[in-house]
Amino acid sequence: MALTKFWVIAYRDLVRNRRRTVLTLLAVALGMMVLILMSGMFTGVTQGALRENIRLNTGHLQLRAESYEVEKLSLLAKDLLPDSQTLAAQVQTLPQVESVAPVLWMSGILSTSRESSGVQVTGVDVTAVFHAPIRDGIVGGSYLTPDSRGQILLGSNLAEEMGIGVGQRISLAVGTSDGGLDEGIFTVAGLFDTGIPSYDQNTVVMPLAQAQTFARTGERASTLIVTLKNQEDTDSVAAALQQPGIKVLPWQELNGLFLELMQTGLGFYYMIYTIVILVVAVLIANTLLMSVFERTREMGILAALGMKGRQIMVMVLFEAMILALLGTAVGFIFGSSVVSYLAKIGIDIGNGAAAAVEGMALGNKMYPVFAPGQALVLALFLFAIVTLVSLYPARFAAKLEPVQALHTL
Amino acid sequence: MSVIELENVTKIYKLGEVETRALDNVSLTIDEGEFAAIVGPSGSGKTTMLQMMGCLDKPNSGVVKVNGHSVGQLSANRQADLRREEIGFIFQFFALVPVLSAYENVELPLLLNGIAADERKRRARSLLDAVGLADRIHHRPDQLSGGQQQRVAIARALATQPSLVLADEPTANLDTANGQQAMEIMQRLNQETGTAFVFATHDDQVISFARRVIKMRDGRIVDNGR
Repeated sequence: MALTKFWVIAYRDLVRNRRRTVLTLLAVALGMMVLILMSGMFTGVTQGALRENIRLNTGHLQLRAESYEVEKLSLLAKDLLPDSQTLAAQVQTLPQVESVAPVLWMSGILSTSRESSGVQVTGVDVTAVFHAPIRDGIVGGSYLTPDSRGQILLGSNLAEEMGIGVGQRISLAVGTSDGGLDEGIFTVAGLFDTGIPSYDQNTVVMPLAQAQTFARTGERASTLIVTLKNQEDTDSVAAALQQPGIKVLPWQELNGLFLELMQTGLGFYYMIYTIVILVVAVLIANTLLMSVFERTREMGILAALGMKGRQIMVMVLFEAMILALLGTAVGFIFGSSVVSYLAKIGIDIGNGAAAAVEGMALGNKMYPVFAPGQALVLALFLFAIVTLVSLYPARFAAKLEPVQALHTL
Repeated sequence: MSVIELENVTKIYKLGEVETRALDNVSLTIDEGEFAAIVGPSGSGKTTMLQMMGCLDKPNSGVVKVNGHSVGQLSANRQADLRREEIGFIFQFFALVPVLSAYENVELPLLLNGIAADERKRRARSLLDAVGLADRIHHRPDQLSGGQQQRVAIARALATQPSLVLADEPTANLDTANGQQAMEIMQRLNQETGTAFVFATHDDQVISFARRVIKMRDGRIVDNGR
């Protein structure tokens, strides 16, 4: 069958112009690598940030009073969960639940003799598993005990910015549940580094009981943070926890803004994917068109020998397919290797950059994720588009008039 | 029996506003087994005549018949079929596919004609042997001399056992010895295979081999050699 010979001619034509072929292959391979890297970065950042946010901030579920609005950090009795410890014990009885942590949130102002800063004060059950990232992240001093009196923990970034050290006494003012303002002097028991700069930059942690006393809320809490053994049980546990006067928020809703942002980001990434693919495709089409121009007389000879237009078209398309296939394969191998390596060591983006992204639990290291399925789809897409765009030079070659082609020097 | 018939063929080329009458109401018949040369000064219409005979171009008026079939009404694909099955070409530049070996160049038209592998091998080897290149079959065109390349082109033109071979200035780029050798080979193959050969030339060496000389001037046949 002549088809085999077409492959041979296509292959040898590519070998004949070795430098041009290698450069084009490099461009395709680089394009493929960029696609895999971008896809790996995006997946890594979104998955990582979501995982960290669930681990550190939102948990899988939260129970709040019906009227509570997280933006206001309200401390009014009607907006808080009454008898949070009893409710926590009740939730803990569900077998799918891993941990339950009542939390009281307050906005406050932290002051030293030199400066002051707005902070979020978090009253936590210091024994709760959910707060392990803070306990494990202690970088100076010590963690709190339930009996700690007059002691707080500070995020290391916050402490560094304000020049505060362990053992130092600082002033903290918070709004109270009766609408007043109270101020207290606390000793910094320890500094924590959760690895999430945006969290460590504005968080003050104190024992729940102390926070409740300070804000005069009694046994009330802002929220009950629930983590599950298996994230997929979220819906069934949420359904089981429904009760009047309390709203149960799943992690999707708690991270709604973030997920929406990621969706928008994904659209932006798709746009960049398309641009990269089109640039590579146009490059190959241009290479082939140049090759066809150079070989116009050769095309004329083939036509004179009785080769039909569509056979000439197939021959040119074969060249495009070889370039696309080899380039994509090389790019796939190198791209996936680089992403897999970076997934292990991470990419340092620095505290500043991570902290600059408000509302996202970004670590100071970015860990790309190699998603073989997604990379394969991108590779197939690149291959298909390159082949499609190459129809233009292929059709151009097929439509050459034999007599004119033969007269081309 | 005639292989090619041209009846009142006219071909006009337009270059901007200027019209050039390359063929002017030409009629000609080439019979089986002929060894004919079309001669005339540059611009007399020799190459255009060959292109009409080879279905590489269409006339503005008149009829071209190959083995009795009028080609005017045929689609581009059918004309390609006709070229592949009935006509062999030899060009003044050594028109080989540069990335294929001598053997593969001769085999290519056979592949396009769907000839079986064994038969392809037999014919390609036998033709390359006939043109004295049995020891050069795996050489690429750039590894062959001009004369050797033209001999590969002769073998390729005869591979499909066509009824007609058209050769446009086949010795123009060869020295005298190689030109003589190429003509001797074509003359021998003409006698052995019965394939008709038509040359467009103004080389006296080629003309001396021709059994029929057709003279052209200003797009017209001034002597049809009969």
